[in-house]
Amino acid sequence: MLRHCTMSELLEIRDGGGPAAARAHVDECAACQDELDRLHQRVAMLKALPHVGAPRDRWPAIRDAVEAGRRQRWYQRLAFGGLAAAAALVMGLGLRAVVPQANPVGDTMVDPADVETLMGESRQLEELLATVPRGRVLDGLTASAIADLEDRISLVDVGIDEARTVRATPEQVASLWRQRVALMDALVQVHVREVGYAGF
Amino acid sequence: MTLAAIDELAIRRAKTGDLSALERVYRAYESTVYSIARRICRTEEDAEDVLQETFLEVCNSVRRFRGTRPGSLTAWIKRIAASKALMRIRADKYRDTDEFDEEGGAAARAAADVGLQLDLEGALSRLSDTSRAVVWLHDVEGYTHEEIAELMGKTVSFSKSQLSRAHARLRRMLGEEGQC
Repeated sequence: MLRHCTMSELLEIRDGGGPAAARAHVDECAACQDELDRLHQRVAMLKALPHVGAPRDRWPAIRDAVEAGRRQRWYQRLAFGGLAAAAALVMGLGLRAVVPQANPVGDTMVDPADVETLMGESRQLEELLATVPRGRVLDGLTASAIADLEDRISLVDVGIDEARTVRATPEQVASLWRQRVALMDALVQVHVREVGYAGF
Repeated sequence: MTLAAIDELAIRRAKTGDLSALERVYRAYESTVYSIARRICRTEEDAEDVLQETFLEVCNSVRRFRGTRPGSLTAWIKRIAASKALMRIRADKYRDTDEFDEEGGAAARAAADVGLQLDLEGALSRLSDTSRAVVWLHDVEGYTHEEIAELMGKTVSFSKSQLSRAHARLRRMLGEEGQC
């Protein structure tokens, strides 16, 4: 090579790469060797710069924000729980009003085994989700989608609890479990897609 | 208390949302996160905001953290901090004058850099926000160009050229001009 190395070439050589001609040139050229040494020294100096301490303690503000977020989620769930209970009650009363009472003991339109099947599917999706590698930082849109799905699953869970309390019909319970399976499925897909992008 | 001890002992409690455990995580990583933020962001105020945003995300997402290897919590928190700091400098892009440099402007600045003989802190602060972030993430934090490109939403070539440009400027500002 008839010229000195560029900064780009020196950086590539420092990182263990670079064109063979440039590496050969550095071996023979004292000026480029000096430049490479200076590059190493500059990086060592950068690494040796001291840690900088935050001028103010930010923990109280962070703690307050975390607590405020929790309160907000709790109120949302409470509101949904009330709504779910009311909806289940209205559905129950409505069904009793419109469904003929020929068989008052067993006005079920859904086999309880179906509910068991849906619960099993939900469990399988939970297990599958637990095997998906996580821990990388997500982009804002994906993180928001995941948080939204998780919140909606929590809300459905509140509905499932309420359904037990108000003795909802198997059909109502199955409807809630169907929603849960659909949301879990979406959540698993988002995570799997994210892992695919990350090249795990 | 070492960072490894935090990884091992407090993380399980932090995952349950225990605020005292989360505070321990904050105390252990506060300086690390603020340092990254301060090196990347232009002002103390921006760096403080990044510190707060980083730990808000840590508190809200820690239950989803699945790392098990030693140091994985550190890497996870640092990556959040880097991401938040880069978002901050993107938001302040109007101040990042290098982004708009024409060839003539770069040449004029090169001439102005010669003979400055700044210390390293001073020279770093004169780099564009983007160049400074790339130098710090690559040369100090050990991120690859691929990782930096992903964090910045740019190409690998962009990251490489920013690093090269940054070192060329640092060399001039530190008065290290050689024959190369």
